[in-house]
Amino acid sequence: MAEEERRRRFSNLRSVRWRVDLGILPAPPEASVEEHRRAAADSRRRYVSLKRRLLVDPHVPKEEGRSSNFVVDNPLSQNPDSSWGRFFRGAELEKNVDQDLSRLYPEDGSYFQTPACQAMLRRILLMWCLQHPEYGYRQGMHELLAPLVYVLQVDIDKLSQVRKLHEDCFNDDFDGVPFPDTDMVFSYKPRKEPNWNLGDDNENNSERSSKTNTLDELDSDTKEIILLSDAYGAEGELGIVLSERFMEHDAYSMFDGLMDGGSGVVRMAEFFSPSSVGSSSNLPPVIEASSALYHLLSIVEPTLHNHFIELKVEPQWFALRWLRVLFGREFCLNDLLVIWDKVFACSNNMLLSSDEEYNFRILCSARGAFIAAMAVSMLLHIRSSLLATEIDASCLQKLLNFPTNIDVQKLIEKANALQSIAIDVNTSSSSFLLKRDSCEYDRVHSNHATSTPPRTPLHPVSESYWEEKWRDVHKDGTTPKESEKGNSFSKQLKKSLTQRLGLSRTESDPSPLKVLSVKNNARNSVRRCLLNTLSDDLGRSNEVAGKIQQDEFPIVSVHREPPMSSAEPSKSKAVGENVTVSPLCVAKLNPLKNSVVEPAHENATQRTKCIAEACSSGENSPVFYAASSGNEPENAQDIDSESSSVTSNSCAGDPVIDGILKDDSSDSNDDSKTIQDSEAASSDTSPDQDGIAERAVVSNERKPFISKLQWLLKLGRPSVEGNMEKSSGETSDDKQGVDTSCSSLSDGNSNNSRGTVKMASGDKKVMGTLKNLGQNMLENIQVIESAFQQDRGQPGPVENFSNNILGGKGQITAMAALTELRKISNLLSEM
Amino acid sequence: MVLVLALGDLHVPHRAADLPAKFKSMLVPGKIQHIICTGNLCIKEVHDYLKSLCPDLHITRGEYDEDARYPETKTLTIGLFKLGLCHGHQVVPWGDLDSLAMLQRQLDVDILVTGHTHQFKAYKHEGGVVINPGSATGAYSSITYDVNPSFVLMDIDGLRVVVYVYELIDGEVKVDKIDFKKTATMHA
Repeated sequence: MAEEERRRRFSNLRSVRWRVDLGILPAPPEASVEEHRRAAADSRRRYVSLKRRLLVDPHVPKEEGRSSNFVVDNPLSQNPDSSWGRFFRGAELEKNVDQDLSRLYPEDGSYFQTPACQAMLRRILLMWCLQHPEYGYRQGMHELLAPLVYVLQVDIDKLSQVRKLHEDCFNDDFDGVPFPDTDMVFSYKPRKEPNWNLGDDNENNSERSSKTNTLDELDSDTKEIILLSDAYGAEGELGIVLSERFMEHDAYSMFDGLMDGGSGVVRMAEFFSPSSVGSSSNLPPVIEASSALYHLLSIVEPTLHNHFIELKVEPQWFALRWLRVLFGREFCLNDLLVIWDKVFACSNNMLLSSDEEYNFRILCSARGAFIAAMAVSMLLHIRSSLLATEIDASCLQKLLNFPTNIDVQKLIEKANALQSIAIDVNTSSSSFLLKRDSCEYDRVHSNHATSTPPRTPLHPVSESYWEEKWRDVHKDGTTPKESEKGNSFSKQLKKSLTQRLGLSRTESDPSPLKVLSVKNNARNSVRRCLLNTLSDDLGRSNEVAGKIQQDEFPIVSVHREPPMSSAEPSKSKAVGENVTVSPLCVAKLNPLKNSVVEPAHENATQRTKCIAEACSSGENSPVFYAASSGNEPENAQDIDSESSSVTSNSCAGDPVIDGILKDDSSDSNDDSKTIQDSEAASSDTSPDQDGIAERAVVSNERKPFISKLQWLLKLGRPSVEGNMEKSSGETSDDKQGVDTSCSSLSDGNSNNSRGTVKMASGDKKVMGTLKNLGQNMLENIQVIESAFQQDRGQPGPVENFSNNILGGKGQITAMAALTELRKISNLLSEM
Repeated sequence: MVLVLALGDLHVPHRAADLPAKFKSMLVPGKIQHIICTGNLCIKEVHDYLKSLCPDLHITRGEYDEDARYPETKTLTIGLFKLGLCHGHQVVPWGDLDSLAMLQRQLDVDILVTGHTHQFKAYKHEGGVVINPGSATGAYSSITYDVNPSFVLMDIDGLRVVVYVYELIDGEVKVDKIDFKKTATMHA
């Protein structure tokens, strides 16, 4: 509440408010005008003494006798203490500063380009850099300083307006009491007659002077302005809070407050330093802050986060500019002022006690958390266009050219919401997460251009939830549905999955990184085997169900081909990007097994998401995951990716999916038998999920499900050979299998909705997750649409079938598929 | 705030091998804006070295210079000051102030820099300043063997020139400072 009062107090005067926020003027709302004036005066005195000390002119002869040692004090002296040495260092700094100043806001009405303003900015920056030699001058500091000067100037303009309006209140009478007219001289003393005003003002003069004769008649804001600028108040002229004469001093104090953080957590200066002093991990603070951003994003919006990781977009590529200049380059000046209002309004005090562990230093204060939240909300704002990008360059381009016609208030509201999440995230993770993250960040730091992206944090909630679910599922044992199945394949699948799940339970704790890494290679082979056996099994059954989405998948898969074939084999990111289009990409990704694709886990996440969205069937997806996740460990480097992908998959909200995934990730046995068992298990779990609801439907679905598997594995097999082209050829050939899988998918959709009935009865969490699922689907739909929009502009050569991305028919069917997806999402949201 | 280095009479390689190490350590590129050299370098390598210190290099011809293309005298304007440059073997008697003053009037300069005597001198008289930077390497001259390496750095700032004299005496660099102010009536 105190803050609200403060806001109300100086709501018109940004510079005063910011000075209060930055710690220069007294913070407590009941601080009187005198206290403000005194604080202002003090800060100005500090600046002047600093100036005298630092800005040295070697020509000025020292008064204390000219016995100065010329050996030291000559221009060529190498001695760093010599005044000439300091002079040359200052000259060097000045050159750097000038380079930046000449490019400062050239478009904004050139207030900043006037020589007076430039000189002032130069001096302030020089002073600060001389005072803080460990940072030196870095590009961007001038952009932090410019808005501070601007608000000071605005307030001074406001003051002069008030002055014009309320002339009489700015009287020069010494005690506010006019001297008695005993002396002829005094009687003629002008009482600020505005006769010299512009002619058109004259007729208003009489009105004005009658209106505002006393200070008390004015509204409190104006009154405050006047009191703050009274030349005879506390500290006299030095204490005038809004003073043009001391604009430089005030700007310096504000800049210093911002950079030093006022003994708070967020010190902007740290963002400019390349050393890792002042960060919790051994990374430069700005890198760490960028990672904090990604961390928050991964919790709030895993899709986008995974997309970034897939495209290998490192956070600091764009976050560096955002953080260092506090979004100064992303918004126009007026919007920026609004944002900075909010940023400064948040307190910068450390929220955690000294012995609490935290993940990111930037998130330890409300202000830092708001900055991170603001960045994430900006990312979310351009989310759909980002998800539609295929390569890191285009993604980065979109990030660095933030759209200008945005509603800043909306962004700020969103950031407010995210701020509390950010603060919680900082401390919520257990120690393993901290360790893990720091390991990852070290790796990020060392392998700059490549591989390991920041890991998605685990949802601690999900793990226990899935374990619960697994227990539930297997508590039911063999349901009567199983007898109906009569399909050994599904039985086998279930068995193997059970075993896997059992294994996964031991492995579900992500802390044993080493264990995971050991299992990595084992997993590869396991998955390959799994795929093989699955394909064998699927080959047995050939179902042809509906033809609903028949065309969608070939089109979609085809659609993906050009990007895939054009990119390197390792650019599964292209696939990953379109992954939301169809679960086909899951199988598509299988080909990339042998390629060292490090975002594979992200693909898996995407895949799981898309699968969850498209088919949203508990039973179908497990098999998909079993097949697809086999590809994840291709990137043997990604130890954590597996578990993270597993758990992040769980966020999609499908119990069995996650179970299966964990199952896979922890699997270390290549057992065709187990594979078969898992297959059986998965197919069995599907009936369990359907359960009580509709048995008949399930049996129907099982068939297409199996055919889907078959199709998947057929695609998977060529991938095992590592030949993408072949697999794409197979894809087109396997359209038949695709049809079946499509139909099965559609069936799976309805199945899932029924399955959700059972789930809902069980656990409330499922509902929530399903709702999220539906929402994800909607969002993915949007992405699809945008992707299609994009690709419409990219006509590929129609040399082979695979390049025929979006024939007219394809578009129609794609849109049909999208409507289907919408229906699904509606269903889910109903649940 | 223009720094001008004045030196000369290095006589490298005939009479001296190189500049003293202490001098060389002080002469770093980037600080000095102009170099004026009275002459007798004598070889091209010294010319190149001086050029590396500062791109704006002015040299006049000394009698032992191997490059015959240097001019006998040179004048240049730095800031508000006019500088004249000559080796000095042409002015007889060598090092005589009145003769040098004659040359100064001839060239119409505020500051005249000459060498050849290998002795540091700085005179202020009637209208101007005459500076002899001595020999930067301490090479012997026709007059004397007892030569201390020395050179001069002028700091031209508006109407004021501060002359720093660097001498290597007994292995130590000694610096001295002389102030000259240009009066408005120096040269009509």
